[in-house]
Amino acid sequence: MSRRYDSRTTIFSPEGRLYQVEYAMEAIGNAGSAIGVLSKDGVVLIGEKKVTSKLLQTSKATEKMYKIDDHVACVVAGIMSDANILINTARVAAQRYTFSYQEPMPVEQLVQSLCDTKQGYTQFGGLRPFGVSFLFAGWDKNYGFQLYASDPSGNYQGWKAAAIGANNQAAQSMLKQDYKDDITREEAVELALKVLSKTMDSTSLTSEKLELAEVFLSPTGEVKYQVRSSESLSELLVKAGVTQPAAEAS
Amino acid sequence: MSFRIFEYNGSAIVAMVGKNCFAIASDRRLGVQLQTIGTDFQKIFKIHDKLYVGLAGLATDAQTLHQRLVFRHKLYQLREERDMKPETFASLVSAILYEKRFGPYFTQPVIAGLGEDDQPFICTMDSIGAKELAKDFVVAGTASESLYGACESMYKPDMEPEELFETISQALQASVDRDCLSGWGGHVLLVTPTEVRESTLKGRMD
Repeated sequence: MSRRYDSRTTIFSPEGRLYQVEYAMEAIGNAGSAIGVLSKDGVVLIGEKKVTSKLLQTSKATEKMYKIDDHVACVVAGIMSDANILINTARVAAQRYTFSYQEPMPVEQLVQSLCDTKQGYTQFGGLRPFGVSFLFAGWDKNYGFQLYASDPSGNYQGWKAAAIGANNQAAQSMLKQDYKDDITREEAVELALKVLSKTMDSTSLTSEKLELAEVFLSPTGEVKYQVRSSESLSELLVKAGVTQPAAEAS
Repeated sequence: MSFRIFEYNGSAIVAMVGKNCFAIASDRRLGVQLQTIGTDFQKIFKIHDKLYVGLAGLATDAQTLHQRLVFRHKLYQLREERDMKPETFASLVSAILYEKRFGPYFTQPVIAGLGEDDQPFICTMDSIGAKELAKDFVVAGTASESLYGACESMYKPDMEPEELFETISQALQASVDRDCLSGWGGHVLLVTPTEVRESTLKGRMD
């Protein structure tokens, strides 16, 4: 039955569904997961790296985390080649805004402009939708710290804590249970690590399989985007009680 | 007499190379022909910690060009995860200017930066992006002729930061006093591999 309405993205099925869009979301369900947690003094993003090979030559510091502008960063779940296109569009949009208004682009406006692009590929036919979900972390002077999640249909919503990618439902319900308002950034890191370690398919969470980035305000009031080094990640994992200290290795 | 757009606002910009350092300086006047409108006008812009651009000529075009340069450099920074080399930046400015070959930005840029191994780089170009590289000093603006003279007689190779600062400041002050359209104090940036010293100079405020 569904076959008849599969081939084109722009056609509703008789039940009122867009199959290509749903398949795109399905594809993301198999991607490495990512979690974002909002705290009162910053936003935390973590991502699970799916394939790690010693032979892999990495050109960038991060695989799934991208800085969009000085005040916005995102983590990707889904098809990376699709994501690269969208990230580039987002960066250009942010710089265009700054060129026009001489101030940083409001976070929600940036997310919306990207989601408009995504939406376009579900309506103007012939092409497939972008197989990507994002978590955006950012700060702006109107609304402070913000966390947004977007999916291939172009829907986005703001969250206090959100999960995308593999096992996102399990992660989401754990976050719902353990999240408290007025959480600090340090606690947010711990929560995110704990949830990821429990919802991940692999048994042990190590720093090689992980990426962690934070958006926060420096003492001088500037917005900072910082990616944790693998050493400090290992420390954090021990502190969060996710892995045992390295003592057993000696 | 023809309308001279490059002399509309007035400016004096100079950059000098020292030993593992450079200095870039400008006057602070914004005028409309002979009438002074502002005395704290910014003509030197930071691109990143070790790269600066001074824009002489029509002030409105200078500001717009600066905004475009920030736009392009920011995208480069995000994509490459590093700052631009001064040589690369000079080519970018040149390309942006030549894009407007038949309706140019009426500015003459001066680019100064520390490149790989903290080697100083200076360069200037005309309003359509023809680069002029130099090992010692470059000048631009309405006071450029007097700046050439002052720099030719005051410049020495391989100056230490302190002496470089003194030399560029003296050269600037001497030159703007011979030019009706620039002056009202100066702005000097002294860039070494470890620090940036920013100073404002007082001169003849008339």
